[in-house]
Amino acid sequence: MLVPLAGGWNPLLGRLALDQIPYNNPILAPLFVVVALGALALIALITYYHKWGYLWKEWLTTVDHKKLGVMYIIIGLVMLFRGFVDGLMIRTQQVWANGPDSSGVFGAVHGYLTPFHFGQVYSAHGLIMILLAATPLLVGFMNIIVPIQVGARDMAYPYLNALGLWITAAGAALIMASLFIGDFSHNGWFGYAPLFEIQYSPGVGVDYWIWTLELLALGTSLGGINIIATIVKMRAPGMSWFKLPIFTWASLSANIIALTSFPALQLALALVASDRYLGSHFFTAGLGGNLMLYTNLFWIWGHPEVYFVILPAFGMMSEIFPVFSEKPLFGYITMVAASFAIAGVSWLVWLHHFFTMGAGPEVNSFFSIATMLVGIPTGVKVFNWAFTMYRGRLTFSAAMLWAIGALFLLLVGGLTGMMLAIPAINYMVHNSVFVVAHFHSMLLVIVYAVFGSVIFWFPKVFGFKLDEYWAKVMFWLFSAGTVGVFVPMYMLGFMGETRRLDYVFNTAWHPYLVAEEIGIFLYCLSVVAFFVLLYVSIRDRVKNQVGQDAWGTSRSLEWLTHSPVPFYNFAVIPHINERDEVAWRRQHGLVQKQPEKYLDIHMPNNTGMALYIGALTFVLAFALTWRIWWLCLGSLVAIIALMIVRSFQGDAGYIIPAAEVERMEKEALAREARIQTGAHPLPAGGRPVPGEAIAYERQDKL
Amino acid sequence: MSQGHDNPIHHPEVQMSSSRGYFTGFLISLGLMFLATFLVASGSMPPFGLLMVITICAAITVIAQIYFLLHLDISEHNIWNTVSLVLFIPLFIITIGLTWWMFSQLYLRTMPMMPGMGMH
Repeated sequence: MLVPLAGGWNPLLGRLALDQIPYNNPILAPLFVVVALGALALIALITYYHKWGYLWKEWLTTVDHKKLGVMYIIIGLVMLFRGFVDGLMIRTQQVWANGPDSSGVFGAVHGYLTPFHFGQVYSAHGLIMILLAATPLLVGFMNIIVPIQVGARDMAYPYLNALGLWITAAGAALIMASLFIGDFSHNGWFGYAPLFEIQYSPGVGVDYWIWTLELLALGTSLGGINIIATIVKMRAPGMSWFKLPIFTWASLSANIIALTSFPALQLALALVASDRYLGSHFFTAGLGGNLMLYTNLFWIWGHPEVYFVILPAFGMMSEIFPVFSEKPLFGYITMVAASFAIAGVSWLVWLHHFFTMGAGPEVNSFFSIATMLVGIPTGVKVFNWAFTMYRGRLTFSAAMLWAIGALFLLLVGGLTGMMLAIPAINYMVHNSVFVVAHFHSMLLVIVYAVFGSVIFWFPKVFGFKLDEYWAKVMFWLFSAGTVGVFVPMYMLGFMGETRRLDYVFNTAWHPYLVAEEIGIFLYCLSVVAFFVLLYVSIRDRVKNQVGQDAWGTSRSLEWLTHSPVPFYNFAVIPHINERDEVAWRRQHGLVQKQPEKYLDIHMPNNTGMALYIGALTFVLAFALTWRIWWLCLGSLVAIIALMIVRSFQGDAGYIIPAAEVERMEKEALAREARIQTGAHPLPAGGRPVPGEAIAYERQDKL
Repeated sequence: MSQGHDNPIHHPEVQMSSSRGYFTGFLISLGLMFLATFLVASGSMPPFGLLMVITICAAITVIAQIYFLLHLDISEHNIWNTVSLVLFIPLFIITIGLTWWMFSQLYLRTMPMMPGMGMH
């Protein structure tokens, strides 16, 4: 061993030993029993219904971007739930452990969580919500929607797409493993130097944190490469840059900053790993190390990352507002420019996460002004959305409600962000729950946009709408919860409550903490409403079936193909005439126009390789965490060997014959004709097309 | 997926790679890394000169890796690589430059003057 380790180490199991399993923890042990029983029940059900073959063929080995996207979203929703439970635990601890007279159970002096356990809960909450809830949810949506919006059959690299998913899944599995084997990092989701050094955090928690982040960074970077290549290279004929749907623009800008910034995180964490595993001194206070350099490197990634998650959310809002206002998006060009301005400025503002480092007035002024500059393009976007709705024919459907909620939260989060951009204010409220309330307002913009998108694009992917009534019930409960938790939190921030308190000393804050607890209870109810929503919608799926244009007022290209989208996306790739192609075709009576003849379609083959490599990355990260060196070497060699095998296999893909395409298209059209009667009477005819419109490329040229 | 894929081996940017190129790039990087490590470990140079020399070593390594391992040049078929490189350069300047600025300001306030580092 290059560094002295507390506790035992043996060559076979590394640091892993029986006493690392928290079987005597009063919270984790029952949870483990529940999880194990749930897993057993799931396996039994799949076996009983003979679904293993289906699961393997249709999901685990798939390279279809829509199925991969759905799996990304499932991971995101499951982890959103886990992160929410962490949030519930934090709130409950704070309202319980308030004042010296508060009781304590389970070994805690106050409340029910020991400070060490509480530290793990808030660290996991932050990491999960940003990198395992928001990121997979947004990557999932980009995965599903971007290729259809640009008129491609799949991503540019279908296999790489599957690899990105399974590496992300490995990251999720690793952080879940830390619940039941060993413990998780207790020094915040971004980590404090030198607290995470091996001398001060001798356990495996920080190692879990390092390798989880490294896996997620890798998975997200692979996804970013794929989405950029798809947008640049695989657009439909006629789709010039300024006919690109706005969500695709947002995805492009977001993935450019992801791709450029994630290396900074990977480097920072590699240096932390070097400190912890090899005994180097990059971030120690002595021997030439610099602990603020870690904070600096982390936020060089961290700030672009928060815009990586907010920009696709802006894109989603830009798709939802026009559809439910029955107007084109106001200021399309300025919207695109604003996305890229935000992406560019995201690289200039990272010091505002640590103004109090004391870099001096010149440096702080520079970063303060740069941070305020973000308000300009964001303001442009807010006004564009407002003008899109202005004098539109508004429909307050559930998706629209979520988007409007996101707009209000953006205002609250943005204005408090402007306050925090002023160093004088920042010094006063630094590390207080005011900051926590601010960035939760911003991240809730993403949650609102995501739930709006779930409702908006669900019929496209599954062919039936979600139940409007329960979607609205969920919206109002969730919004009431947001107000209940975060308004008191802003107030407590001004009163001086610092963040991450496992014991709240001031009993005068009790009413506010109770209000926050009521808020989180409303969130719980909204989670229940979400499950009811899923149940009711799946029960009534036949009644809620929709055709290609689920909302009747849709605008961008994904609404031109059938719902649910066939695995080849478009039977014949359409020719793009206008920015809002579907709206334009509807206006000119071209929506129902079918290609004259069908051609063979070339599609990529399924492969289990991505799943194997993903599983091996989990083994590698787990072995690194526990310092089981033989297993590290074994899994690393296996990963490299599998990559070489895959590169020699290649994938010639397969051909769907034109006759087969025609048969599937006829079926889909017949299904749509059945649904269409009564639901949304489409205008026949329409205005004649000026000049010569091309719905599909001339077949003899293909 | 469009009809009829070209064999990826025939793409010009793939054609540029050769085992000799990779080997040269690897050896140059390895050699310069050993040189820098040796100079730091031996402590035979004054700190400022050492800093200069290892910075130059690092710069040469970066250029060698860009040319030999990533095959970046300014030819027509590499146009997207050139575009992305040009877009990347400001990011390097921003991150390294601003980090240098903020830490030089921080050191003025927090660090004792190191012997041999000269005046700021």
